[in-house]
Amino acid sequence: MLERPDGPELLDTAREVLLNELLPHLPEAQRFQARMVANAMAIARRESMADAAPALAELRALLREPEAEPAALLAQLCTEIRAGRHDPGTPNHAAVAAALAALVRLRCSVSAPKALGR
Amino acid sequence: MDEHARTRLAGWLTGAAGMPVLITRMTLLSGGAIQQNWALDVTQGGTEQRWVLRTDNATVLSASLPRPAEFALLQAAFAAGVAVPQPLFCCTDPDVTGAPFFVMQRVAGMAQGHRLARQAAGMGGDRALAEALGRELARIHGIRPPRPELAFLGAPPADPAHDFIARQRAALDAAGTPRPVLEWGLRHLERTAPPPPPELVLNHNDFRIGNIMVTDSRVTAVLDWEFAAWGDPHADLGWLCAPCWRFGNRSLEAGGIGPRDAFYRGYEAVSGRLIEPARVAWWELAGTIRWAVIAADQAARHLSGKERNLELALTGHIVPELEMDVLRMTGALHA
Repeated sequence: MLERPDGPELLDTAREVLLNELLPHLPEAQRFQARMVANAMAIARRESMADAAPALAELRALLREPEAEPAALLAQLCTEIRAGRHDPGTPNHAAVAAALAALVRLRCSVSAPKALGR
Repeated sequence: MDEHARTRLAGWLTGAAGMPVLITRMTLLSGGAIQQNWALDVTQGGTEQRWVLRTDNATVLSASLPRPAEFALLQAAFAAGVAVPQPLFCCTDPDVTGAPFFVMQRVAGMAQGHRLARQAAGMGGDRALAEALGRELARIHGIRPPRPELAFLGAPPADPAHDFIARQRAALDAAGTPRPVLEWGLRHLERTAPPPPPELVLNHNDFRIGNIMVTDSRVTAVLDWEFAAWGDPHADLGWLCAPCWRFGNRSLEAGGIGPRDAFYRGYEAVSGRLIEPARVAWWELAGTIRWAVIAADQAARHLSGKERNLELALTGHIVPELEMDVLRMTGALHA
């Protein structure tokens, strides 16, 4: 329906121009900024491909809140964790740990994919 | 800093030094997100001097100390024999340059974290520097309460571990973004909190590569004292050893520079204090959470529109990898 190249494809191409063609001509003081711009573009590119649905479904099932909005869901989880309701020895401890791990892997896949390989 | 500000600055320095000070050159050294450092070349009574002027940037972190307090800490550290730039003059009058500032001697050395980490990795770990870092931190921890000239630090916490947890929770609540992984880490800390330490010391609270000037595996200056506070000495040890401050050298556990045992040996030799490894581990997790809360706060400043800045914006994207560290340290990744 929309024209290609699409957003992710344009970000890829624009980032290549920035890093390969513009950056070498920049004074040292501006190179850091150009690398930050390239980093921001890469994050935006990855975010457009990220699918939060599976991690959210896992959390909704765990907290028995099938309709909850993401922010409300996370706020409830925070309250429960702080109150000690998912401490070691509680029934959902391992399931909550697994859901948090899935959430963090998703977050890292956008913000810091290198952290996934550690 | 415009021509008028420089003229006022030269006049103020002349008064503070008690002899004529002429500014010959002034260049911005680092536009940190929080502070500005200016290289200041002057002649003082006819003698050439190389100084640094440190002042606030537009963005001021709520947790950070004002410049006059940082100046007082530098004075205390200098007197205690810590490698710091000698503090010279402090100006609390915002009308001179637009913000309070202080002036210190300029010290030679390199502080860039990634370059230092690369050098250390190239030699398979720099034991000498890791030991030197331990000795330097021990000298900082020689400063102990009470110290009337550091009254702005407030009373030492009776229970640093629980005090830490309460502060981080308050910061998360104030920020308003639910962060379940950080809550998970804080709850783990609460369950495993060590009792109050036998003695409290001055923590630098940002003692890591990037804030430390180095020449030939020697520490020439410890910089950036704005987060200093009384606390458990293991808090600084854990901060330097936390995975997030290893600059990619994950196996060089002392700050990405060298092995942990070398750092500990240097510290124990000068402090005469025995390090408790479990306490360091607790503060490593605490430090990881603290950095995540600060990083989220920096991004929030950008998002609020108060300080639109790409560096602050990108700092927020460090939070997820810190959360990965939190899950690993709490054993949740393979639960």
